[in-house]
Amino acid sequence: VSQLPHHALLQDRPSAKTCLLGNLAIVRGALEAGVQFFSCYPGTPSSEVGDTFALIAREADVRFEYSVNEKVAVEIAFGASLAGARSMCSMKHLGLNYAGDPVSTMPYVGVEGGMVIMSAGDPSAITSPNEQDQRHFNSFLYYPILDPATPEDALKMTRYAFELSEDTRFPVILRPTTRVCHTSGMVELGPLPERKNTIRFTKDPSRHVPIPVTARRMRKEVSERFAKAESLLAGSEFFPRSGSGKAGIIASGVAFTYVDQVVRELGLHEEIRLLRIGAYPIPKSILTEYLHSVDSVLVVEELTPFIEDRVTIAAFGIERRVPILGKNTGHFPVEFEYTPEMVEDAVRQYLHLDKRVRTEISVPELPARPPVLCPGCPHRSSFYFVRRVFGKKTVYCNDIGCYTLGYGQPLDSCDVLLCMGSSISQASGIARTTGKRTVAYIGDSTFFHSGLPPLVNAVKSNDPITVVILDNHVAAMTGFQPSPTTSADGIPTDALARHRFSIEDAVRGLGVEEVSTVDPFDEKATLEVLKKAKSAKGTNVVIMSAPCAVTEARSGARESRTAYTVEPELCNNCSLCIRVLGCPAIHIDNGTYTIDQDLCDGCALCAYVCNQDAIFPVGKDEPER
Amino acid sequence: MNQNGNARRRERGWRILIAGTGGQGVLTAARLLTDFFVLEGASVTSGQLHGMAQRGGSVQSSVMVDCGMSPVIPKGGADAVLGLEPVETARALPLISSQTTVFMNTAPVIPFTLDQQAVRSEVEVRYPDVSELAALVESVTSHVFAFDATRLALEAGSIKALNVVMLGFWFGSDLCPFVPEDFLDTMLKSAPASSRGVNRKAFLSGVECSKRGISNQ
Repeated sequence: VSQLPHHALLQDRPSAKTCLLGNLAIVRGALEAGVQFFSCYPGTPSSEVGDTFALIAREADVRFEYSVNEKVAVEIAFGASLAGARSMCSMKHLGLNYAGDPVSTMPYVGVEGGMVIMSAGDPSAITSPNEQDQRHFNSFLYYPILDPATPEDALKMTRYAFELSEDTRFPVILRPTTRVCHTSGMVELGPLPERKNTIRFTKDPSRHVPIPVTARRMRKEVSERFAKAESLLAGSEFFPRSGSGKAGIIASGVAFTYVDQVVRELGLHEEIRLLRIGAYPIPKSILTEYLHSVDSVLVVEELTPFIEDRVTIAAFGIERRVPILGKNTGHFPVEFEYTPEMVEDAVRQYLHLDKRVRTEISVPELPARPPVLCPGCPHRSSFYFVRRVFGKKTVYCNDIGCYTLGYGQPLDSCDVLLCMGSSISQASGIARTTGKRTVAYIGDSTFFHSGLPPLVNAVKSNDPITVVILDNHVAAMTGFQPSPTTSADGIPTDALARHRFSIEDAVRGLGVEEVSTVDPFDEKATLEVLKKAKSAKGTNVVIMSAPCAVTEARSGARESRTAYTVEPELCNNCSLCIRVLGCPAIHIDNGTYTIDQDLCDGCALCAYVCNQDAIFPVGKDEPER
Repeated sequence: MNQNGNARRRERGWRILIAGTGGQGVLTAARLLTDFFVLEGASVTSGQLHGMAQRGGSVQSSVMVDCGMSPVIPKGGADAVLGLEPVETARALPLISSQTTVFMNTAPVIPFTLDQQAVRSEVEVRYPDVSELAALVESVTSHVFAFDATRLALEAGSIKALNVVMLGFWFGSDLCPFVPEDFLDTMLKSAPASSRGVNRKAFLSGVECSKRGISNQ
């Protein structure tokens, strides 16, 4: 959702002020730093960064790819960095964990061209299975981390991160949260560089190979370089201080913008000495000076008490005993996003001001709108037929993608979920323990991301599992990015794999003997294949292959299908269609079952399910879109 | 409408909340407003919350002018709410105060979950009465403009122009310090040629309806 046409990101308009989405400000910052290589695996709220590079990479002379997973994205960007390129990769918080192995040793080896890892955080787990504080990679694995509060910060910090990386040889993590990624704000553009880094890989194994004998030397260098990072950050613009009072507030991220709001609204500029933390490690010199200037500190940061702990340690180290308030003292919760109200209340309490009286408006219980599989989604058909054959008692292990929406009624196809690629290994564990055939669902993009090793593992023990690969040829949930099975037709970028992979070939190559591919809208073939898979011994795979309904409609790849309608004379209101399918196009309108002609995608699954044969295709008056 | 009140609000900038369901064009409306305000020289912050990017979910976006860096509208802090759907308008109640002007589309989008609950529990679960939802909003602020904007969009040629009708409501009200035609020109420049006619008609019918409606109050 850009505020400028994408090519506008490539315009050299130094000092121009414009309004950019946080994720686009990050792209601009990278371009202003002369980024040469970019890789990513999509994940909300980071996806717009990669999706924007996909559109502009060629024009911007940036090597771009959607990598097969985050570990590959990090490693390939690191390889590019060793060859001298300024490189960047993006992912969500969970992706950084998936890349944990290379990430843990990269600081030892060190970069050649500057390297930035953008890893977006998701406090309150708005689009994630957990919330997590990536700032701990700072102390845990020695990463300089930049923590933007606004799109303007995001642009400046991304630009700066490449320099910091080259000056210290550390890869640098940029950690915006959802409220920064998905906020549009005013930014000042900088110049686009005329020259880029020279590309050349210089052989030096003792520098680039961390084996024990070199790793111990590198370990010492890590400490020295980390100290250098701290001193460089001390001279950066990312710890602005304001105000002159004895009451201190330290804030970071979007919570800083809430503090700023309270300070401005209550006119507290003089009473409060405000320190904003925009980077880690927090220079000790800054904390020491600050702690000597205040009588107390309130720390306002989301997720874990990361800053608060460091302030507490710093105060202890200089024997400065002032109250340090925050999460550890119960002034803020450790869970979830902060709100402007929460921050205002805490600041007022801290300054002994009266609590603001707010008229509490009670909102009655309103109907929820949970996300739902789209009309015409092939996953709905797959879930329906698998459940019909495997029954209610089978354990269904699910994975990360649109198909996670198989959770709950009516599809009831998600008994177990953990992380990318986990469905197959969890199914193995459950099947091997219970001795009962277990089903694992996994999508095409997720299968190539992390489904291959657990499938090899299952074949190794011939676990009694049926792996149902839901191949809709796209990573739909994160915004329809290409997957390894996406066809190149009609995609105007070079973002695509040059090879269109066959899941069936891959699965056979891994040693699975029983493999079938069916179209989940072909009822007869689907039922036959599933019955065979259910009665077989050992590990087998069923590939349910049909394109995502939304990408099909958008790309115009197929004629729009005829919508369906319910014949009221034949419908006996048995409710079966609604009870088993949960299609958002089917409604009960004053007791009459109807199909919304605008929503219906014409997949015909409801017509198949209907016991009364009461659902028929109709001619549409006008073509869709 | 209290002119002094408006002047005061403009002095400290304003906060507009746009609320609706996935596919109604909430984020597009926010982007159109943002682009226009930036061209007018304003400092804009716009936040969005849309959870999983699936069709049919609740979507909210804030557009704030000269209000600082925070992307979140504080409780009771919205100057205007453009509610593209009745239940989604009611969901925005915590951001509404007696000072807020609410523009509310009266045409509902029924969540599919209601039918799910109905067939499972054998109890009738129904969408709240739209007039009750409007009354709920009116219990907080007297500045409520409720109208079937979906019908205006359809009359203009496409339900997809609903967001533009709602923008017309705001630009046509005396809350808005801008000339509606200025916005219209900017919007049409960025719109694909094929949709310009529909968007123009939709916007102007929103403006006209709003001028009529508010002067009638």
